[in-house]
Amino acid sequence: MSCTYSSASVLSSPDTPPGLDKKRHTRYWLRCLRTHLPSAYIPNDSNRMTLAFFTISALDLLSSLVPNTTPEERAAYIDWIYSCQIPSGGFRASPSHDLSAVKDGSAQWDPANVPATYFALATLLILGDDLNRVRRKETLKWLRCMQRDDGSFGETLVNGKIEGGMDTRFGYCATCVRYILRGKREGPDPTSEEQDTDVDALVECLRKAETYDGGMSEMPFHEAHAGFTYCAIAALHFIDRFPWPIRSQPSEGQRAFNKMPLRKEGIVSTTSSEQQGGIKTRGLTSPDLTIHWLASRLTATISSEDEEDTYADETDTPETCHDAHSFVHTANFPTSMGETSEKSRPTSHFALDWVGFNGRCNKVADTCYAFWVGAGLTLMNASRVIHPTPVRRYLLEQTAHIVGGFGKLPGDPPDVYHSYLGLAALSLLETAAQAAHESPREGRDKPVEERELKALDACMCVSIEAKSRLYAIWQRWGVHDGKDWDGGG
Amino acid sequence: MPDHAEDEAKYYDDPEWADIEPIQQADQGPNPLAAIAYTDEYAEAMAYLRTVMARDEKSERVLRLTKDVIEMNPAHYTVWLYRAQVLFATHADLHKELEWLNETASQYQKNYQIWHHRQLIVSRLCPDPASSAATRGPPFPGAGIDVDSLVAKETSFVASMFDKDAKNYHVWSYRQWLVRHFGLWDKGELEFTEASIEKDVRNNSAWNHRWYVVNGKEGSEGVKEEKVREREIAFTKRQIRLAPQNQSPWNYLRGILRKANLRFSTVQDFCIEFADLSKPEGDDVFSSHALDLLADIYAVDEGRNEQAKRCLLLLKDKYDPIRANYWQYRLEMLDKEMGSGIDSHLPEHETRNLTSAVSV
Repeated sequence: MSCTYSSASVLSSPDTPPGLDKKRHTRYWLRCLRTHLPSAYIPNDSNRMTLAFFTISALDLLSSLVPNTTPEERAAYIDWIYSCQIPSGGFRASPSHDLSAVKDGSAQWDPANVPATYFALATLLILGDDLNRVRRKETLKWLRCMQRDDGSFGETLVNGKIEGGMDTRFGYCATCVRYILRGKREGPDPTSEEQDTDVDALVECLRKAETYDGGMSEMPFHEAHAGFTYCAIAALHFIDRFPWPIRSQPSEGQRAFNKMPLRKEGIVSTTSSEQQGGIKTRGLTSPDLTIHWLASRLTATISSEDEEDTYADETDTPETCHDAHSFVHTANFPTSMGETSEKSRPTSHFALDWVGFNGRCNKVADTCYAFWVGAGLTLMNASRVIHPTPVRRYLLEQTAHIVGGFGKLPGDPPDVYHSYLGLAALSLLETAAQAAHESPREGRDKPVEERELKALDACMCVSIEAKSRLYAIWQRWGVHDGKDWDGGG
Repeated sequence: MPDHAEDEAKYYDDPEWADIEPIQQADQGPNPLAAIAYTDEYAEAMAYLRTVMARDEKSERVLRLTKDVIEMNPAHYTVWLYRAQVLFATHADLHKELEWLNETASQYQKNYQIWHHRQLIVSRLCPDPASSAATRGPPFPGAGIDVDSLVAKETSFVASMFDKDAKNYHVWSYRQWLVRHFGLWDKGELEFTEASIEKDVRNNSAWNHRWYVVNGKEGSEGVKEEKVREREIAFTKRQIRLAPQNQSPWNYLRGILRKANLRFSTVQDFCIEFADLSKPEGDDVFSSHALDLLADIYAVDEGRNEQAKRCLLLLKDKYDPIRANYWQYRLEMLDKEMGSGIDSHLPEHETRNLTSAVSV
């Protein structure tokens, strides 16, 4: 395959990447489920709810959860998750933090944790729980306490102080908890009578974390990073403040909304008009540039050796700059050494057989960014800007491990984090590939038995099937008004 | 030297801890999720930690215990906060704490909590550098410290971390905080970014830090100020000429133009140096990023829509095939909406007051 392909010819080309070895990956995850994770996971002991989510959700995506577990076992998993619930709302991230057995002790060092609460609720949905035992009112109240004046969310509340970074990961997890418990609608929740979080402030906070190159960072002026970019985009979806679909010919008025300046500048009227159903600030000031930034994360630099080639080199050759392998300007070498090195280089181009994603500019590809970037593009309705086949081949031929699961880089041993996000990325690629060949909605709606992996909801990062269980739960709670519902296949 | 057996049972037979009833972990039910094979050492330390945390004990022995737990599980999200409170309550030597953090940070380079803790300790040592007197701080060893020597120690520690990984996200974030907290804007920070970029012109973290130093100071106009802008554009052009296919400076250049509200066409001639499509013997392109920017320059100008198309086609078919689908998408966009470069001016974008948001 020539690397000077056109997208149209590639999309219809017959090159078929290897299939996913579902048995092997299922075995990997069943091992994680049934036996103890090795002691190397002790530094992750405080993220056990996250590890639990990855395990259960991976088996769900593989359609291997129900066939390999009994209803009693699944009920026990559900009980375990509830055992991590804090009576005053939210979930702790690990039973190792549990101080509830101490009668006269202080509970301040055993606080609820924002990411753990998202992972707990999502895992309960996947396991088919009805969320009946969730302390919904308390959790909504606690969630409001987790938001800072600047709109950002923290991780935990200790002694009345919000702790943890200001980054978008917590904003993402918080908006997902809010979505699961009360949908997208803003304002006081009529069923629990709990006040809403400050949605406008969060939007402003996310907009401030946009970087000069179109990505998003942890907080203002930090470097653009694919993980934070995904979290910001997904959070905007959960609160229904994403810009209007930018390629669906928005009206002039909608365009104006997308580019609306911040409230603080005094140009847009304040919350009162917003509450009257008027103007709402939306996130992402330059969606087109954000898509550009996300598409720029595609890279053929997939191993650390590739990366070292690009270090401190004097100029660009196909060897030093793997993303620009199809040309080189030979007349421009400042030194004779550079010229010599250019002459000795092989004449063949780097093949684009394997293409990964990096998380930041000029970094090596990493399995997890296939999800962070791929899902970001999906949520921007732009998954077609990537060609799924080489990314799929990168995951299946380079970072998938022989024992199942995925490592971070080619040759790395698998770990729970990369193994889950590798599968999540593959599910989105499957959807994108089907959408490219067929009508846009067919990939998503294809029956489970015809797909390799269950279709993933790019926003909640669980199967669309699991997310769709929320519908009945919302009806029971009385929060569903039809307008909020945006998923469920 | 303690023997191995003692190593594994640090607390239960230690008379100093005899008054503590360790709280064993209660993993509920027969099927816990994500169970980890704890070592005896970790399980024991955590059992004692739970007890002292429940008692909210603030003592010197807790400092040793929290250190022990952190060295095994640095991502424990409350043990760091607890340790900080104990340090302050026991008036511990905070310089010693920083020395210990130096070792721990090198060991756990990807850990976030370490850097937050470090920030807390340094703020405590020097809450208000502007008044250059830690003397107003509470009385504890280390009060009345020399601000300059603290800053020198911190910046040199950060530099040593960059020797291990020049793109470590947490370390760059901490560096930004140091600049803000100690007001290092004009104290050699720009030169530091220049040196970092000189070391590796593709280090995007260094480019981002330069953007921060130039534009991040509260009340500063940054590249909106002509003198600053000219300096930055000249610097960026020099770096691009060194490695034209390097994405970082091209993004930086685009960022300057956007923030300063300049038309992209101001750099058209510069782009053509790297992507001359006018030569009769065929196109002469050696930077896909130049072509990318040229596409935007031409796209906003209706008369040159065909040229924009040609740039995008060259990117798609020849110079950036890894992103062929993206360039195809851009071509379709161009057909749909005349004049839609991805950066068609968004002046309001630049009215954002970013600095006011920073309040760590």
